[in-house]
Amino acid sequence: MPLTSESVISFGNGNGFQAGPTACQSGGRAYYLRLERMPRAMEDLLLYVTNGVFMGTSYALVALGVTLIVGIMGIINFAHGEFYVLAGYFSALFARGVGLDPVSSMLVAVVLVFLVGLVVERILIRPTYGEEMYSLIITFILYIILQNAYLVIFGPFPSKPPSWVSGATNLFGMFYYGNQRLASFAAAALVIAVFMIVMHKTWLGRVIRSVAMDREMAAMLGVNTARVNMLSFGLGCVLAACAGVILAPVFPITPTVGVGISLTAFVVMILGGLGSLTGCIVGGLLLGIVENLGVAYLSSGYKHLFGFVILILVLFFRPTGLFGQKQL
Amino acid sequence: MKLWRVCALLVAFAMVCLGMSSPGIAEDTIKIGVVGPRTGGAAATGTAFEEGIALALDKINADKGLLGKKVEVVFEDTAGDPAKAASGIEKLITKDKVVMVLGESHSSAALAEIDVANRQKVPFIIAEAWHDDITKKNYPYVFRAGPCNSGVVNDSIIGFVKEYGFKKVAIFAENTDWGLGIKDLAEKALKDAGIPFETVLTERKGQDHYAELNKVKKFKPDLILAFVYGVGVHYLLAQAGEMGIVPTEALLLEGAGPPSLWDTFWQNVGEYGNLELFVSRMHEKVMLTPVAKEFDAAYRKKFNKAPSDYKSRSIYDVLLVAADAVKRAGSTDSDKLVKALQGTKLVVCSGTVEFGTKKGSYAYHQWQPPMLIVQWQDKKQVVVYPVSGKTGDLKRK
Amino acid sequence: MQDAIVATDRKRTAMREFTPWLIALGGFSFLPFILGPYWLNSAITGLFYVMMASSWNLLAGFTGQVSFAHAAFAGIGCYTTGILSAKLGLHPLVGLPIGVALSALLSLGLGALCIRMGGIYLSLTTLGFSEIVRIIIQNEYEITRGTMGLKVPFIIGPYSKTTAFYIMLVVAAAMVWTVYRIINSDMGLRFRAVLNDETAAQALGVPVMRVRVTAFVISGAMAGLAGSLYGHYLLLITPHIPSLDMMFHVLAMAVIGGLGTLAGPIVGAFLLEVLSEFVRQFSDKYHVLVFACVALVFARFAPQGVVGLVASWWRQATGKEGAQ
Repeated sequence: MPLTSESVISFGNGNGFQAGPTACQSGGRAYYLRLERMPRAMEDLLLYVTNGVFMGTSYALVALGVTLIVGIMGIINFAHGEFYVLAGYFSALFARGVGLDPVSSMLVAVVLVFLVGLVVERILIRPTYGEEMYSLIITFILYIILQNAYLVIFGPFPSKPPSWVSGATNLFGMFYYGNQRLASFAAAALVIAVFMIVMHKTWLGRVIRSVAMDREMAAMLGVNTARVNMLSFGLGCVLAACAGVILAPVFPITPTVGVGISLTAFVVMILGGLGSLTGCIVGGLLLGIVENLGVAYLSSGYKHLFGFVILILVLFFRPTGLFGQKQL
Repeated sequence: MKLWRVCALLVAFAMVCLGMSSPGIAEDTIKIGVVGPRTGGAAATGTAFEEGIALALDKINADKGLLGKKVEVVFEDTAGDPAKAASGIEKLITKDKVVMVLGESHSSAALAEIDVANRQKVPFIIAEAWHDDITKKNYPYVFRAGPCNSGVVNDSIIGFVKEYGFKKVAIFAENTDWGLGIKDLAEKALKDAGIPFETVLTERKGQDHYAELNKVKKFKPDLILAFVYGVGVHYLLAQAGEMGIVPTEALLLEGAGPPSLWDTFWQNVGEYGNLELFVSRMHEKVMLTPVAKEFDAAYRKKFNKAPSDYKSRSIYDVLLVAADAVKRAGSTDSDKLVKALQGTKLVVCSGTVEFGTKKGSYAYHQWQPPMLIVQWQDKKQVVVYPVSGKTGDLKRK
Repeated sequence: MQDAIVATDRKRTAMREFTPWLIALGGFSFLPFILGPYWLNSAITGLFYVMMASSWNLLAGFTGQVSFAHAAFAGIGCYTTGILSAKLGLHPLVGLPIGVALSALLSLGLGALCIRMGGIYLSLTTLGFSEIVRIIIQNEYEITRGTMGLKVPFIIGPYSKTTAFYIMLVVAAAMVWTVYRIINSDMGLRFRAVLNDETAAQALGVPVMRVRVTAFVISGAMAGLAGSLYGHYLLLITPHIPSLDMMFHVLAMAVIGGLGTLAGPIVGAFLLEVLSEFVRQFSDKYHVLVFACVALVFARFAPQGVVGLVASWWRQATGKEGAQ
């Protein structure tokens, strides 16, 4: 049944949906009739959940890298967020400074961060195998070094690679959502899917998981565990880098954003259970949604507290996380 | 005997301390201290200060310095932290023996520093820390040749809101001393003016503001006052644009200024930067004084670009005020300097500096520079307030 | 007869062991007469870091638990006494034990929560805890004054750096003494047993959990005390005390000085204080970067720290292998 826009507005009585001019910009008028009956509160909820899913996917992507490294090497990489930042800077640099197109600049950035990750593993992490405490200390110091080095090298101003798309889309005929966010969401989901397939369906994934499950046994069966360690550290950095290049067009990079990224990743990882990849994805989505709902209905100043509070609760009631340990 | 060695080390350390504490060689320069954030979240201000200092020193030393001596600036990092700031200014005074201290852009740091400056009896001129309490304490050695929150809110922001007849105002503030302080003042002023408002707070380190912005959107304001500093402004503006709030439903007025002028502003906010408003002490076309013109030319010559962060000019102004006071006092004695500062009548980039001398309010030892409210219109800066300095009309969609 | 010989022998060894410490302490107590106000400030800050690094070392160096909540406990201590004295007008000396008790209580809770899960969990949970503390302090600005900082009175009497120095010196010495007593007691033996081989220690009947939690609580209480004193010396309590930045400094000092040694954190704390002053003379911008690079080099290439390096160098130079 075709509707004229006037009839929609009068039907809505001005209260059912947001201000007329923006809502009318997009097509899809047929939605309106249904939506007007939907209470405003539901509409808000839907926005919070959508945004929570977007943020949660990005959290999951970042956390997967940390989890991979923990699962295989038993090492927490405190500098994870700094690799994210590095990739963001690289992609902005190659796209704007060198003039590569966005896709190749992203690829170059990811490859470079992978190489940096390999070097870091070889020089700094490898000598600390079996010394959990020193690996913790070294990556923590590395985070401080990188953060301060970025400030010196890239300066304090935010930098952003070009957006892939611009504008915003009216989702479900209810609210506008940034197109770049939608694109980044799709890319992040794609990377997560590819990563999970690699880990579960390919030879490489099986080798990596075998080391995570039983290092001695894998070594006896002829797996070069040192090389697997190096590779998984590199892969972890690649995941951080992917998140960096995918999210930098949404959230411009500054030298200090890395620490927030790492902290969120740690929360997500514990929520899901140390070393569980599936747990990571669920934990990420959970955190994203909880944060958004918390801001909406509890307190916006306490946004980042919610994650830590769930973390303590999970540790208290279910110390192995939602999905238990070691399910890589 | 491991412990003997430890002892030897400690003794060696004590000797190092001893060596370092010995007084330095005779001074043939006049040292002026500057405090400000060079690392941490607001390090951009440090960069702007460095530029302004370099230009001011060029100018002062080209005029044969002060009292026949060259002027040297010692720039101490506060990292935006009050405790570090307090020990930093103490270092400038007790170790570097500076005759005066200038600068600062964090109110929290400044509030810690003024106690030290006052205790050590060294004049301290603040450039960019806006909290009212800084001059409200009426410390004899503390001056401010820069904006204060009350001045910015009451003279500029509320004047602007009334002038253009905005009906509903949303306040979006970060949970820091600056954001919360200026938010309280704005709330009070809006209440007095009878304009409905709603406040949404946000976490300083937050990147994603969709949930907070949805609260703003529900309120349906026609103006958003954003008291968020740094890259937060870029995040906020871009996201408000995506959500269809700015500039179609409401205009956004950013309360700090510099972030809207950073090189990466347009890159980060894209089309949504159009019609954004910000508070500024500087405008590319408005040259309030000949000194401003001189500064502009010198800046372009030295750095090969147009001045963007107005804080480079703020520190430049304050350095000129300090140099003028030393010249008129004819000495570096603190009390003479204070007396000279009280009699300041100096033309700098943003006007003629004259400090208030009536005790009892924040206006004591305070000089409020004229603040402009500027709107981006097709990437051109248009001054829309105060009306006397208008270079164009306010545009809305 | 035999007993008497053993006793005097023990006494002599003890004397020899303590003399250098006493000399160092004596030397230190003259510092206020030598140093100007600026360097005295550095010395006091150094003493604060000695307390922080020594108590953190008790945890990391002697029981192998890397906690990131140490700065947060210092923050809890100083905000408790700070709020009590600034808002309720309590004397800082009354507030001090309350602050320390609260730090100890919270570290007991946190320790009980995460220690049973070991290494990585402990580090991550303590990190989360320290973020919670920071966020609460920042948001409850009506009580804590947020980033603006809380103005507090001086520890005792009128403001004087010399007083502050002596108070900090006495407390720091007492703290180092306590750490020494702990590591040389039965408890210390258990600590080391747990550090070396947890499973073996458990098999031999060492209550691993209880030992670890005890270490955690003692170290948390010490951090609370250090933080309170430092806050009342600065006259201003800010979220910088319970920050990751502060945590990094403490960690770097312990690592550079030498983890698991009594003297390590002390040497590390003063070394970094001096280094920081030195770096500042060239450029203020790079001091954290320089610190971190030095710390990384030590953590990677010389995990025994300065104290360990000097000791082995001395052994080589004097040819006395394993003098101690």
